[in-house]
Amino acid sequence: MNAIDGTDRQIKTDNSPPPSLLAIVLDTNPHAWAHLSSTLPLRNALANILVFINAHLASGNANEVVVIAAHSHRAVFLYPTPKTPTPRNNSNGNGNGAANGDVDMNETGAGSMEDGGPKDVSISDNPNKYRPFAVVESAILQNFAALLDATTPAHLAATPTTLIGGALSLALSYIAKSTLLRSPLDSVVDNPLSALADSETLHTKRESLTSRILIVSVSGDLANQYIPVMNSIFAAQRKRIPIDILKLAGDTVLLQQASDATGGVYMKPDRPEGLLQYLMMAFLPDTTARRSLVMPSAGGVDFRAACFCHRNVVDIGYVCSVCLSIFCTSDLPSNLCLTCGSYLSLRSAQTNPPALVPRKKKKKKRAGGADSTTPGGSTPAGSGTPMHS
Amino acid sequence: MADSDYEFEGDNGSDDEYVAAKSKSNPRPPPTGKKRAEEPPRKLHAWETDRSRTVAKELPAVAEADDGSIQRSVQEREEERKRKRLRKDTKPFQRGIIRHVVLVLDLSESMMEKDMRPNRFITMIKYTQEYVREFFEQNPISQMSVLGMHDGLCIRVSELSGNPAEHIAAIQDLRTPRNPEGVPKEPKGSPSLQNALELARATIYHTPSHGTREVILVFGSLLSLDPGDIHQTIKACVRDRIRVSVVGMGARLRICQEIVSRTNAGDESEYVVATDQESLRELLLATTTPPVVRSDQAATTASSDSAAALMMMGFPSRVIEDVPTMCACHGILTTGGYRCSRCSAKVCSLPITCPSCQLTLLLSTHLARSYHHLFPLRNWVAVSWNRALEQGSRECVGCLSAFPEKPTTKGDVSKNEAGDAQKENASLDKTARATGEQQADKDDSQDQKASESSRYECRACESHFCVDCDIFCHMVLHNCPGCLSKLNPVPEAHSNGDAGMTG
Repeated sequence: MNAIDGTDRQIKTDNSPPPSLLAIVLDTNPHAWAHLSSTLPLRNALANILVFINAHLASGNANEVVVIAAHSHRAVFLYPTPKTPTPRNNSNGNGNGAANGDVDMNETGAGSMEDGGPKDVSISDNPNKYRPFAVVESAILQNFAALLDATTPAHLAATPTTLIGGALSLALSYIAKSTLLRSPLDSVVDNPLSALADSETLHTKRESLTSRILIVSVSGDLANQYIPVMNSIFAAQRKRIPIDILKLAGDTVLLQQASDATGGVYMKPDRPEGLLQYLMMAFLPDTTARRSLVMPSAGGVDFRAACFCHRNVVDIGYVCSVCLSIFCTSDLPSNLCLTCGSYLSLRSAQTNPPALVPRKKKKKKRAGGADSTTPGGSTPAGSGTPMHS
Repeated sequence: MADSDYEFEGDNGSDDEYVAAKSKSNPRPPPTGKKRAEEPPRKLHAWETDRSRTVAKELPAVAEADDGSIQRSVQEREEERKRKRLRKDTKPFQRGIIRHVVLVLDLSESMMEKDMRPNRFITMIKYTQEYVREFFEQNPISQMSVLGMHDGLCIRVSELSGNPAEHIAAIQDLRTPRNPEGVPKEPKGSPSLQNALELARATIYHTPSHGTREVILVFGSLLSLDPGDIHQTIKACVRDRIRVSVVGMGARLRICQEIVSRTNAGDESEYVVATDQESLRELLLATTTPPVVRSDQAATTASSDSAAALMMMGFPSRVIEDVPTMCACHGILTTGGYRCSRCSAKVCSLPITCPSCQLTLLLSTHLARSYHHLFPLRNWVAVSWNRALEQGSRECVGCLSAFPEKPTTKGDVSKNEAGDAQKENASLDKTARATGEQQADKDDSQDQKASESSRYECRACESHFCVDCDIFCHMVLHNCPGCLSKLNPVPEAHSNGDAGMTG
């Protein structure tokens, strides 16, 4: 029967690659971009990145993008547009707080309409432009302009660094949620909150999402965010999210380690003005495609540690067992840890003779002898267990 | 039915959970408010914990959640269960970061019980592999050894080492041996706690004093077949400052209780009983958090040998080779690897103890991996509807998913409730400002409940998050996206919403 019926009745399986979520962390530090302005102005860079985002969206129907700006004083989503909270002014309600509870609801409702407004209005009705591109583009440009407008000279004077740690954390939590919603396991179906969020994808067959993070970094020193960035790197490693680094200026070992630990691409182009080409050639392939490509690699990564006392790079260091601080010398002032202040002795760490090693040689000679160090070590049988009081 | 469970709780002031649990039957539970004030620590028996109560407690809860839908209360309970694990890691204590752990598996005939699917043995094998992976994820510079108990014997499954792959392969071998001649181990005979403790003691006898010495027993039996006096063994364990944790199955045993309480300075909270396989997994994973260093222990060890130590460690550089060379750890030809900083022996992977000169070799990133135990992310608090309206939060800061709006269907009831809640909240805020830091600490110890508004707030930056981000940030990320996205949100607080390290 089957031989006669020529039609293929198997369920049509989708052979297209899994959808890919690209999180772009754009370092928008004004100081660093000012340095770069002679070779690559921020305007050109942003235009190139928009083209790159369009290319990513075009390479798969289900592809998604999220763009986060790591600015000098904030880290914010550029796309999708976050709704600003509408705080109630009369907080800590007195007696009449209860009475106008419903009024507050209306206020928040009105606020949401106002906020949702500009996004829809501003999309240019250019018939020659693919609408998803236009949506992403206008949202990013508007939010970015808003971010720059909100930056005051006081903010710039406050810090020269960038909140990469915060932006990475935002990207990771966004990816974690998206992955959860798209996971093939239908464990989240009973959660109305998630059902609300992906109502259109709920009934379709879920495919697992492959995600990656691209950091376009221009600023240098991140030492003050060492722990948050490290935590983010480990989270990405656990979730198997590669972190790609495009380093246009500056140099940080931290980001090198990020890409190395998570299996991402690290690039430090010599000519930043060719940004678009670097983006398209090195960073467009997603994790599925990368398996069949030879990706540029960072080569040697400096993994040596810097000591906490003199910032020397050390090969052999001394580590406090309580707080894991690294020191380059073993004679600390009065043997106290410089970070946590606990009393440290080098002796207790070095007296580390494995009790089992010498025993093996002398086994024959000492057969039956008192082996006081390792009671029951070689005699798991119940009857032979020596006792110690 | 539910109430009869609580009569065992003799301690006064322990009715906090009781009230909270009961208030579920009200149309709208008031915000926990003042009830979080004082909660003296108390010891719960395994059968009294929330997990086992859920069966008794939750059935009426489903029926009586008449305000919204049943789905709503189901969601709340789901969130509550998810958040339960968050409770542990947040108190800033000095923790033993460098651990020496002996994992003892019960391979006796009681593991053939089918109360876990397909049976206890297979469940245990499955979860312990996951456990080993998670353990080394959390404690990269720690050492582990795996033992097994059957036929009154204690066998060594894997040697003390810091390589998770070895342990996982060894545990896998128990069920499906790699070499074709091997026979899969069937659980049989009786376990012997004494032999297990003696072998474990011998295994970690030589470990340096700055690390912890722990025995984690997965114990499914209700008996122990010992060759001698186990109390002597317990004494010896106490003397060697070994801490024993027991994850039991089915029922509590007096002897396990005694072992745990004697070796943990009277603290019995390390003896837990898994009631189903999900709880077995959670209880196992809970022990991946490094244990708190007890002050009395520090005092006793300081006299003989300083507890803290300065450890010499090598931070090797990676070598890239075109021609394969012999590695010192396995004796096989490999290209590339790491070269020991002291003796230049080549090793394949890190962290490792150099096979030729015994120097601990690791990367600075391995040390960084333990930092979140030292600077834990504070627990986030559940947000009441009132607080949610006050902040006007409409979507999660981390993932931008929309929060549910406050249900408006229940007219007057919610108004009255809101009034009460507001007063309560106002008074709470006052006390919060007055006591400041102290209050925040109490919030940490507060039981993690599901939030009525599905929002969770970071105390430091006042950002609201959804439950999924709450779980993700506390379990995986250990960062607060809200705090890190602002420059100095709260100047006096530690950045990242971290609790500072005390002691």
